[in-house]
Formats: sequence, C-alpha cells, structure tokens
Amino acid sequence: MELVEHWVLALSGLILLASGLLELPLGRRYYVTEIPSVTWAGDFFVVLYIHYAAAILFVAVAFFHLFYHGLLGHNGLIPRRGDLKAAIVVIKSLIGKAEEPPFHKYLPEQRIAYAGMAFIIAMLIFSGLVKTYDNLVNPQLPYILALTATWVHNVFSLFFFLTFLVHVTALAIRPNRPLIRGIFTGFVRLDYVHDRHKLWLNDIS
Amino acid sequence: MSKVTRRNFLKLSTGALFLSGMAGFTGCVESRRPGNLTTLIDCNLCDGCVDLDAPLCVAACRQRAIERIPDPVEPIPQPFPRGEIEDWSNRKDVLDRLTPYTHLYIQRVDIIDGDGGERTIYVPRRCMHCDNPPCATICPFTANHKHSNGAVVINSDMCFGGAKCRDVCPWEIPQRQSGIGIYLDLVPTLAGNGVMFKCDLCYDRVRDDRLPLCVEACHRFAMVFGQKRDIEMEAIRRAAQVGGYLYGMRENGGTGTIYLSPVSFDKVNDAIDSGPGRPHMAQVERHLEKASVLESSVLLSPVIGMGAGLAAAALVAVKGRGGDGGGD
Ligand code: HEM
Ligand code: SF4
Ligand code: SF4
Ligand code: SF4
Repeated sequence: MELVEHWVLALSGLILLASGLLELPLGRRYYVTEIPSVTWAGDFFVVLYIHYAAAILFVAVAFFHLFYHGLLGHNGLIPRRGDLKAAIVVIKSLIGKAEEPPFHKYLPEQRIAYAGMAFIIAMLIFSGLVKTYDNLVNPQLPYILALTATWVHNVFSLFFFLTFLVHVTALAIRPNRPLIRGIFTGFVRLDYVHDRHKLWLNDIS
Repeated sequence: MSKVTRRNFLKLSTGALFLSGMAGFTGCVESRRPGNLTTLIDCNLCDGCVDLDAPLCVAACRQRAIERIPDPVEPIPQPFPRGEIEDWSNRKDVLDRLTPYTHLYIQRVDIIDGDGGERTIYVPRRCMHCDNPPCATICPFTANHKHSNGAVVINSDMCFGGAKCRDVCPWEIPQRQSGIGIYLDLVPTLAGNGVMFKCDLCYDRVRDDRLPLCVEACHRFAMVFGQKRDIEMEAIRRAAQVGGYLYGMRENGGTGTIYLSPVSFDKVNDAIDSGPGRPHMAQVERHLEKASVLESSVLLSPVIGMGAGLAAAALVAVKGRGGDGGGD
C-alpha cells in the first residue's frame, strides 16, 4: 500500500512538474518541441490535459494519505503500526530521505522535511484546485483571486522543484544510495528501512 | 447610468434610427456596465472608410494604443537561445494587420459570387472577447483575464510576452512588442520576451460608462455595443431582415463580438488572405470544451482520495482486530 502511494505521488508529482514547466511557454523556445516524439510539448492543450490527469492522481493520493494514515494514527502504539508509520514517512518524504543524517537524527530530520514538503504540496493542491475551478467556470473568478492562486501556484512550484533538486543531488552524492535505490525497487529495501528504523527505535527505548 | 454623455447617447440612438430603425434599442446604453458586453459589427454598414488615410475606428484605436505603450529599451535583449524578437516600434503605421500598436484593422474581402459577380466587404477585426477565452485562463501569470463586464484584458504590467495567449487563441490575436515590460527587470535573456497587446474593449472607458473609441468614432454606426442578450437579439433581427449571416455567437464556445455579413462566412473565409496578424473567419470549436470533464474530475479528486482513505483505513482496522498477529 505505502509503496503504491509513494509511486503514484512521486510519478504524478514529476509529471505535474514537467507539464507545469511546459505550461510556461518554454517548450518551443528551448527546442523541447524539436525532440522527436515530444513535439506535442508545445501544444498547451495537450500539456494541460496531462497536468490535469496527473493532478487527479496526485490530489487523490494526497487526500488518501491524509485520511488513511491520519485515521490509523489514532490507533495507538502497536509496534507494527509504528513501523508502518515511520516507513510511510520515509516513503512519502522524498526530501526527508535525501537529507537523512546518520541513524540517530533520522526521525526528527525526517519529520521536519516531511512537514515542509506537506506544506508545499498542500499549497500547490489548494492553488491548483482554485486554478482548475477558474478554468471551468465562466466568467472567471474575480481577478485578484485568480492572480493570487496563480502566484501561489507558481512560487510553490518553484519550491517543489528546488526540494526535488536537493533530493536528487543527495541521491547522487550520499553513500546511502543503496537504501534509496532499494526504496524505489521494493519490499526488500523496505525491510532494510524497517531494520534501520528498528535499531533506532531500540536506541530510543 | 449617467456618465453616458449626451453625445454618446445621441450617437448610438441616431445611428440606430438612421440605419436600421432599431426602436427601443437605445436601452443598451444604460445596461452597459456590468454583465457580458458585446459588440455587433455590421459589415453591411462598414464602408472601410476607403476615402480616408486611415479608417476612423482604426485611427482612434491606434492613437490610444500608441499613447499607452512605452518605447522599447535599446538595444532589445536577445532572448536565449533563439534570439527572436518582435519589434514593431518603428512600424507603428502598419494598418493592414494586427500589431502591438494596431489592435483593430479593416480586413478588405473581395468575394467572387457564384454568378461571377464580385463584391467587396470590409470587416473590422480585433479580439473577439470570447466567453471562455483560452488566452486568459491559460496565461501562466494570470496577466490576461476576462473581467465581469466581459472584457478580456491583458495587464501589461504582469505580462512576460511569452505569446502563449497568441498560440492558444483560435485567431492568434495578441501581438508582441519585445523590449518592454516586467521581464526586463528579471532575466530578460532567459525568460520572457516583451508584452502582448490586443484590443481590451477600451476597458477604462467602458468602466466609466463610455463607449469604446472605435464604436464612437465610426461615422457609419457600423458597430453597436451593449449587453450580450440585447446585442444578440439585435444581430438576429438584422440578419433576418437582410438575409445576412452571423459570426461569433458560437465560435470558440461563444464570443463578445458578432459579425453580420451579407455573404456567408465560408465565402468570406475563403476570400481572406489569412496569416500572422490577419485572422481567418473559419468556424472554430472551443478547444477546452472537452476539458470540463477532466476539470470536474480534478475538483472531485479530493473526495475520491478521502473516500478511498477512509475505506482502506476501515479495512485495515477491521483486519488488524481480526487477526492481530497476522497482518500484511
Ligand atoms: C507537484 C505539483 C505541481 C507542480 C510542480 C505544478 C506546477 C505548475 C506550473 C509550473 C504551472 C504553470 C504556471 C501556471 O499556470 O500557474 C501550473 C499550472 C497549473 N496547475 Fe499545477 N502544479 C502542480 C500541481 C497541481 C495540482 C495538484 C493541480 C490541481 C489540483 C494543478 C493545477 C494547475 C492548473 C489548473 C494550472 C493552470 C493551467 C492552465 O490553465 O494553463 N497543479 N502548474
Ligand atoms: S479572440 Fe483570442 S485573444 Fe480575444 S478573447 Fe478570444 S482567445 Fe482571447
Ligand atoms: S474597443 Fe478600444 S481597444 Fe478595442 S478595437 Fe475598439 S478602440 Fe481598439
Ligand atoms: S467600422 Fe466605421 S469607422 Fe471603421 S472602417 Fe468601418 S465605416 Fe470606417
């Protein structure tokens, strides 16, 4: 479940980022449209459809995450559940993963990164929903509202992009690369996370 | 109502009486401010001002544009990597197409009739002020917006000149002037390329209950301006009266500009030498019509995610209780 969640969020997030950047009129200017098989990148309507489709997944998974784990979180401190939650945090928070310091500071670091990313995502979703509504209705929303939503969306897209860059850079540099590759490939690596996490839990207890 | 000057009022009413006896139609003056303003452009009446150096409507419009557009910087930054700039500042007198300084021009259309006869009509062309304008909704900076009175206006202080609006406009109406605008303050060589310009329905004038300059300037009263419903009714009435054709009511999902022509728009379109700055008159479907399903789905996606989250959590909770040690 967590893996599916992670993948849908990560992939739709990347698609949103790419299609969002192409919504800025960059494709033609920077020759993206001349790469064979990506000639559609200059078609703003196609790119918008892609952005919408990815947004459906992205928003649905984010809300799923909120409710699913929020509700389970209420179920207390069964060790298994604690593991689950920590693993989800690992999976969910790309940044947290990348900035992961040596074992001990693992959780606090991650929580901060997770909260930061959650905030960025929340702002993107909220402004994105307003923008979508603005596109649907006629006449448009009052100018000041549309303008604010757009700039919130743009600025937080930039933050999203930057945090993503930090993450990728960390991926490339850090010695914990095997772990990260593992997280991308599946259960074995999750076990590895569980292991590390259990050690850390043991330290604490 | 009352910033309607006596002159405007008379103009509209005498024009109406003079040309088509539109009794009672002067009411549109009062209802101009809110709602969806629409213009009827009657090609039966426009004579292209052929005897003048510049058509009256075009001259009035262009004068206002020139006064409002600052001179570009020298030299205009070369946008990386293509280095393509669009500079019309030395060609402000171009009148035979849309440019950043010419937001309205007269399209001369020579039509060969079925029986070999020739006839010429003059079609004042500008932004259609679409009901659901892609140029505005899709602007990545919300520099372009359809206001509650119906005017689609590009805010030149916010525009980066990326020309996306021109790419998505079915008539490619907006025109770029490089070397001016907000992009100069950022990274002019990497992002942005000027400011886009088009007819703004004389937004400032209309807001003050005055007529657009072009409407006011026309000596033939070829343009009638008012509330959408009234103007549409008037257009239909006139079309029925003279056996004419209408353009703009359905195009791109409906617009704020209706053309009335004595010949069919298929013929008009065939006769137009369309190209950059010279829009066609073909039928146009609204591109984003189909997007509304996707848009609604996007708006519903929080509910879907929430429902799934609740269901899954419930399932896990039940499972957890049932086989405590088993799990997934
Ligand atoms: C990872 C998350 C996202 C990123 C990085 C992102 C990025 C962008 C960027 C760069 C733009 C172009 C600039 C603009 O039009 O403001 C854009 C446009 C837009 N985005 Fe997003 N976005 C994200 C998520 C979303 C979500 C979740 C939604 C919907 C709920 C959404 C809806 C929109 C809409 C409606 C537009 C305007 C498109 C148009 O009308 O042309 N975005 N996005
Ligand atoms: S005609 Fe073009 S520029 Fe004018 S409102 Fe419609 S889409 Fe926008
Ligand atoms: S409404 Fe104003 S801006 Fe538009 S064409 Fe007429 S004079 Fe020009
Ligand atoms: S609309 Fe009026 S002012 Fe403009 S060209 Fe036609 S007749 Fe002349």
